[in-house]
Amino acid sequence: MRVLVIDPDPARAALVAEGLEGVQPLEVRRAATFDEREAAAFAPDVVVIAADSPDRDTLESLREAGQHNPRAVVMFVDRSEPGLAEQAVRAGVAAYVVDGLAPARVRSILDVAMSRFALTQQLRGDLAKAKADLESRKTVERAKGLLMKERGLDEDGAYRLLRKLAMDRGKPIGQVAADLLAFAGVLKGDAS
Amino acid sequence: MSGLADLTLGFIPLTDCAPLVVAKARGFFAEEGLEVTLSREASWATIRDKVLVGALDGAHMLAPMALAAGLNDPRSAMLAPLALNQNGSAITVSTRLAAQLRQIDPEGMAAPLITAAPLAKLVEQRRAQDAPILTFAMVFPQSMHNYALRYWLAQAGIDPDRDVRLVVTPPPRMVEHLRLGEIDGFCVGAPWNAVAVDEGLGEVLIKASQLWPGGPDKVFGVTAGWAERHGDELRAALRALIRAAAWADEPGNHAELVALLSRPDHVGVEAEVVARALKSEIVFHRDAAGLPRREHALWFLSQMVRWGQVRAELDLDQVADAVYRPDLFREAALSLGPIVDPAMVFADAAPAGGGLFDSASFDPAKASSYAAAFPIGRMRP
Repeated sequence: MRVLVIDPDPARAALVAEGLEGVQPLEVRRAATFDEREAAAFAPDVVVIAADSPDRDTLESLREAGQHNPRAVVMFVDRSEPGLAEQAVRAGVAAYVVDGLAPARVRSILDVAMSRFALTQQLRGDLAKAKADLESRKTVERAKGLLMKERGLDEDGAYRLLRKLAMDRGKPIGQVAADLLAFAGVLKGDAS
Repeated sequence: MSGLADLTLGFIPLTDCAPLVVAKARGFFAEEGLEVTLSREASWATIRDKVLVGALDGAHMLAPMALAAGLNDPRSAMLAPLALNQNGSAITVSTRLAAQLRQIDPEGMAAPLITAAPLAKLVEQRRAQDAPILTFAMVFPQSMHNYALRYWLAQAGIDPDRDVRLVVTPPPRMVEHLRLGEIDGFCVGAPWNAVAVDEGLGEVLIKASQLWPGGPDKVFGVTAGWAERHGDELRAALRALIRAAAWADEPGNHAELVALLSRPDHVGVEAEVVARALKSEIVFHRDAAGLPRREHALWFLSQMVRWGQVRAELDLDQVADAVYRPDLFREAALSLGPIVDPAMVFADAAPAGGGLFDSASFDPAKASSYAAAFPIGRMRP
């Protein structure tokens, strides 16, 4: 069985392809965009496509254009497992299936794709949070340095002051530190 | 706390998403007690699917897509309680093709209204020379763009399924595909025609406002089930969107509208280009543009019959009345007071002078026989 993965996100596509390689027997190809000629040459049984790919509408049109596309394409969402279709849409995955393929085989492919999409989202979320944490730590360090210089505090005292400001305002300490640096910038005449 | 549920509404990066963007940015949703999140989507198919499963509460939608949604499965039925715009799209060809057309038919290309007659001559010539057929792109099988392009081609005797190749290309890729020579022309909404012209790659042959003055395009779509469960939210959303459409039509607001639309999280195209399509072309509110007109629904359905997308035996009136809901528009519009002219809101017939560019008359009471009368079509019994 041949599966074509269309995903503008190369990292996610790689994860999906790698996951699918565990489903036997399978030949997986991935691309950032859907090219009708390349697809016709590969003749996939299933096209798994990210919901954030604009190429979905092109695939949608191939369902109708029988004369240009000898292999009839149907959309899995049309089939009789409404729960699965909803799950896939919410996970950001769509699948187009050549007519006649056993639903159970499609299901296993879609399950892999959905789990890999969820994994990507989680990894991206973790990464964004790690970056934000690091950024906030750097900001707090800079704000501490500013307070030490301007108020003659030691490091501990500067940190305690920041923490008190954060508690008084009910804001995260990173936010208070960023505000402090921004105001200091304005007072020094940095208009940006 | 208004007691209304929070809403997530989808849109595609096109100028006609303006009512949604404006209602959010100018606080019209908030004033109606709605907390709305806008979700920019990459394809019409994803918009449709997300609305169907409830991942979106409602969306900017191709009008025929809303009509087609429930045809195979009544559980997927949608409503179009508001039309988002008139005009805005156009048929554009590559500058190379335009030059060839001018060579083969200088008079036809100089006419105030360019039909596909010059193109028909070129298609004939290419056939005689065994040259490959030309490729035209549109945005979705169920779209005004598909039907407008097909109508325009067929009106000059070009069979859109045999004499040319029609493909679906996402709007943001149209211009790139024209540049690469993968397509020879396209029918797409604003601002992409202006982008092609701006980059010296394309020439507009006919605008939607010439092809069908006051013709339909996008709607605000929700599922019938959602509308039933969320009547208050729907009414509030319609009021906000109608106010936003009225705001977007005001020339005095255009600079702000252009700035809003050109933002990368909205349409993400240069302000100058967005501005060009707004000027005297796209209509959001005036002439009761927001009214989802029954005859528009029936015209779309007649074209679905004509091109074999649905069976000819389909009860077109029943579909039109189930999906197009001018009553919901009227209720919301009239409650807003003087920004909507009541006379227009109750006018069900198209404004005087309405009709397609070829002056062929369309009688909504005879949509099925209208569909059957075209010499070029793919009717299925």
